[in-house]
Amino acid sequence: MLDSLPYELPELVTRAPLDTHRSTVLSEWVDWNGHMNVAFYVTAFDQASGAFMRNVGLGRRYVDGKLGMTFVLETHVTYDREMREGAAMRFATQLLARDAKRVHLFHEMFHAEQGYLAATNETIVMNIDYATRRSAPWPAPVAVRLETLWQAHKSLPRPAKAGRVMGLPRKS
Amino acid sequence: MQAVASLRSARMKLPPYPMIELDLAAPFDQHRATVLPEWIDWNGHMNVGFYVVAFDKATDTLCNQFGCGWEYTREKIGMTFVLEAHVTYDQEVREGDPLRITSQILDHDAKRLHYIHCMYHGTEGYLAATNELMLMNIDYETRRSAPWPGWAMERLDKMAAAHKALPAPAQAGRLIGIKRKK
Repeated sequence: MLDSLPYELPELVTRAPLDTHRSTVLSEWVDWNGHMNVAFYVTAFDQASGAFMRNVGLGRRYVDGKLGMTFVLETHVTYDREMREGAAMRFATQLLARDAKRVHLFHEMFHAEQGYLAATNETIVMNIDYATRRSAPWPAPVAVRLETLWQAHKSLPRPAKAGRVMGLPRKS
Repeated sequence: MQAVASLRSARMKLPPYPMIELDLAAPFDQHRATVLPEWIDWNGHMNVGFYVVAFDKATDTLCNQFGCGWEYTREKIGMTFVLEAHVTYDQEVREGDPLRITSQILDHDAKRLHYIHCMYHGTEGYLAATNELMLMNIDYETRRSAPWPGWAMERLDKMAAAHKALPAPAQAGRLIGIKRKK
């Protein structure tokens, strides 16, 4: 485990959920159906995960400094409403769980002007050691920040769309 | 809600384009791709979003089987929308790696299709990722859900019957969470 990080960490945002990330639907994210393609929702959510990771101190400098990386292990998306080119997006991110090397996040994507829920994404992100390219415990200052965030997020209600298993409803 | 009989797709016996030959191999195993340079991120591997780009193209190949691919939208008959997706990232793939994607139908009803793609490294053979999806048929004009056209339903029934004996992959029906040690 890294005991420290060789750069200054940003000021920690402890608002729960984390609501700092904003984005816009790019033209190259739109498919032949005239809306944001399914894959680019995942890209947009991945950038929201990036905002969460930067908040705990794991941004580009973590990778460029060859200290470590974060890998997504698993992700689950619900596509609730269409988003068109140029639409403004606002994200809310809740920490659902954490352990020594993973975080379990839940993102909601809203149309920033019209306010509707466009999609949700539940995801597991793992810390990776740069040299071995294998999982490793969070650097010590990150673990401290995650603990602080956990105290702020743990009392939030569990989102209704978290923990979904896919299937067709069966008529009885 | 608009009555089904008024939908253009419901009145069509056959699509206004040729249907390709139906492939009843189980799982469906036609889709091949290569990891493009623009799919790579700063971690030096295919980015999480582009796995889904690759899987979405495999969905196009699958939808072609039952006549609901690009031409279905080009002819303004219908579209297919993904309602929900679950991805497991099992092993990294790098720029230029060949990909083989298989597709297995798990379930279907009058307007939806539940299936799972498995992505393998094309030459090394390892499982790189899986993608479980719920797809819905959409009427082009109303942009709302609608029953599959007859030609599609007929083929979906056949494919589902061919895939029925396959065991469901371990990655299907997963619940996300951090496992707790006792």
